[in-house]
Amino acid sequence: MNPLLLFLILLFPLAAAVVNALLGTRLPRGAVVATAVGGVALSALASFLLWPLAAGEGTRATLYTWMASGDFSAAVEIVYDRISAPMALMVTFVATLIHLYAAGYMEEEKDYARFFALLNLFVFAMLVIVLSDNLLLLFLGWEGVGFCSYGLIGFWYFEERNADAGRKAFLVTRVGDVFLGVALLWLFALTGTLSISQINEAAAGFAPGTLFLLSLLLLGGACGKSAQLPFMTWLPDAMAGPTPVSALIHAATMVTAGVYLLCRLFPLVSLSPEAMAVIALVGVATALYAATCAAAQREIKRVLAYSTMSQVGFMFLAVGIGSVSAALFHLFTHAFFKALLFMGAGCVIHMTAGENDIYRMGGLARRDRLLFWCFLIGALCLAGAPLTSGFFSKDGILVTAFASEVPLHRFLWGAGSFIALLTAFYTFRLLYLVFLGAEKRPVGAHRHHLPGVMRWTLVPLAALALLGGLFDLPPLYGGGHALREWLGPLAGIGPHLPHAVEWLLAGVATSIFLLGWVFAHLRYRIAPAPGESLGARFLLSGWWADRAVYTVVVRPFGSLARFFWKVADGRLIDGSLHTLAEGSNVLGEGLRRLTTGRLHNYLTALGWGGVVMLAWFLAGYLL
Amino acid sequence: MIVPMSHILAISATMFLMGFACVLAQRNLIMVLIGVEIMLNAVGLTLVGASALWEQVDGQIFVIFLMAMTSAEVSISLALVVYLNRRKHTLEADAFSEMKG
Amino acid sequence: MATIIFYILAMTALAATGMCITRRNPVHAVIYLVNSLFAVALIFYLLGAPLVAAWEVIIYAGAVMVLFLFIIMMLELAPTEQPQGAGWRRWAPVLLFSLIILGCTVALMAVDPDAAEGVPTYYASPRIFGYTLFQEYALAVQIVSFQLLYAAVGAYYVGRTPRRRQEAG
Repeated sequence: MNPLLLFLILLFPLAAAVVNALLGTRLPRGAVVATAVGGVALSALASFLLWPLAAGEGTRATLYTWMASGDFSAAVEIVYDRISAPMALMVTFVATLIHLYAAGYMEEEKDYARFFALLNLFVFAMLVIVLSDNLLLLFLGWEGVGFCSYGLIGFWYFEERNADAGRKAFLVTRVGDVFLGVALLWLFALTGTLSISQINEAAAGFAPGTLFLLSLLLLGGACGKSAQLPFMTWLPDAMAGPTPVSALIHAATMVTAGVYLLCRLFPLVSLSPEAMAVIALVGVATALYAATCAAAQREIKRVLAYSTMSQVGFMFLAVGIGSVSAALFHLFTHAFFKALLFMGAGCVIHMTAGENDIYRMGGLARRDRLLFWCFLIGALCLAGAPLTSGFFSKDGILVTAFASEVPLHRFLWGAGSFIALLTAFYTFRLLYLVFLGAEKRPVGAHRHHLPGVMRWTLVPLAALALLGGLFDLPPLYGGGHALREWLGPLAGIGPHLPHAVEWLLAGVATSIFLLGWVFAHLRYRIAPAPGESLGARFLLSGWWADRAVYTVVVRPFGSLARFFWKVADGRLIDGSLHTLAEGSNVLGEGLRRLTTGRLHNYLTALGWGGVVMLAWFLAGYLL
Repeated sequence: MIVPMSHILAISATMFLMGFACVLAQRNLIMVLIGVEIMLNAVGLTLVGASALWEQVDGQIFVIFLMAMTSAEVSISLALVVYLNRRKHTLEADAFSEMKG
Repeated sequence: MATIIFYILAMTALAATGMCITRRNPVHAVIYLVNSLFAVALIFYLLGAPLVAAWEVIIYAGAVMVLFLFIIMMLELAPTEQPQGAGWRRWAPVLLFSLIILGCTVALMAVDPDAAEGVPTYYASPRIFGYTLFQEYALAVQIVSFQLLYAAVGAYYVGRTPRRRQEAG
């Protein structure tokens, strides 16, 4: 197959985005939706059909040289290999389902053309990240998803709150992007290239300190995009966007871009054990932070947002302990079940006519059985119920941590298990409050029509979420670590434990899941009123992170800016300019008396000039 | 050379300064122009003297150019004199002080 | 002989110039300047530049000064009131200068009736002069001629009677 065919994967969403952006307002709704869904679906089809190209060392394709200047050159160059191929397939597949779902969700939206154009553009940018073999091109996609995310979070920009959320997401991720940009420049200065494969090859020659700092910079970039500590505050607010956006961008794909970046550059990152430890610790800290917050949230989408943050923290943990395969496995299963959960949440919101507060829902299980079962599957995966995909992927990470020789990893295993307990707890809390118990609202008063396409797109995702574990089933359950085998040398370390220990760990995981369930059952079976204690408010506001950021960063920055505005700019710069202008004015006023306009004054001055010149020459001659 | 060069220079310098004094002292624009003519003429005298001193013809040729330039200058400046006189009905140099800052 | 004539002429030129610059009446000033120019022309001749001397008389004393006089009279700048003092006193300096210059000319012609060699010094013959002017300085000649053309056009432009203002006035 011609390697250039790989560009079809990118071309379809881009073409759909361009068509919708330019002609969307003139086309009928059906055509816009068909273009959007078709573009992504064709891209998924292309990713699937081109799968053979990914085998072995993968396939590289160069479209053209993007920019060249001196030693520097960056080509539009993509690679379809063991990591990027499954990622591209996952992104396009999930995106197709979410586009379909969005067609139903945005049924009554007038501005659908803008929505679908941005959504398609997002898929394109995400695929650029996934497929790029060049860090500069990756950065282009990186900023592209950031922009689309901004545009989609603030999609309903008529409300100040939504626009603010979009700006916040954009600005916070931009801080991370600065780190990534610095890392890129440094890498270029070190190796003279931005090609990922060449950088990975050259990484072995770097000094340990350089490697550590580079890895930290990359981690900073990844943290910004993936909403990890300390750049996590934007993700809960990002839920202001339409739910398909939350499903696609803020659960399945974009927030995992950071993990993906670290996986692509794993040969570099893994050379610095200290950096790996930092990555793992950041992951665990975020996972813990987000899990505690999720347990106290009142809005359904914010619960899911914090749980996304938490699960991405698990992926960082996996990278940090050195297992790319575990990270990617969890990334894939998480994409399936979290997209499912978000789409289910969208259905719930749709059914309750825009209600967001889980304490005012309840009993929805009886209203729509299909939705309930799909949501239940997603929740079980998230909670890590045995034999679901979430169980295998999360357990894979924990087992790898347990099996590691490094002492720190044993501790991380403990923390991870505790977080898993919290996860199970808040997941069942959500389930109980939303679907079980008594209905809080008068039945039928707000009964809302749920489009079929929204319900039925849940089913394939539910199936994938349930059976996704098969992709990397450990030998313990008769599987062969399919993903690990596929990734081959890129997979990182794997667990090597006696079967008995593995069984034991599985038992521990199962009991953790059950324990979380029991806690949630005891507390939320009969839906209580929301907690009003200080602790609840502390968790609800995300550990007051926003306030902390406001105090630590925004306010000093504001004061500094005001200082620069009033003092540095106003008094110093403007003042000096004004003084200068005033001085020039006074000088000019004095000098203008010299210009009398009388011919003879000028001629006299000329004469004196001549006299001075003659005197000068005379002096030179005589002395 | 029939006379020392320094004498020629002295004569022409005296004439030049006389012309310059005329330019400065006289208020009438016509007299100012006459002063300029005197100065130019003094320069011409220097050039011819130099030509005789170095026995080169170039100095005299420059005098020719000088004359041509003077003719051009005089025609323009006299036209200006006519124009200015038409505007203000006077030729006092101080009357034209619109350039005062 | 030539040296004596030179100094006489130089004194005459300086005196005429001095008279010229002190006149209040522009017509008188121009007359003294013409005297001065004649004297300088003779000095040019003495310094071996007969051609330049001739042009000095033709262009300066002839054309340029007449132009001055013409403008002065056109603008009626000469004071109309009769100056004080006897006529001969007013005319004496001019007559004196003119006689001196005339005398010097006659003396020169007496010394050298053919006016061939002039005085025993460097002598630029018209042939050499012409060759140098039109070969070495051909470009300068072109430029100067353009300059004269511009001057003519410019003088015409500046001196034209503006129709609009005439109507307004």
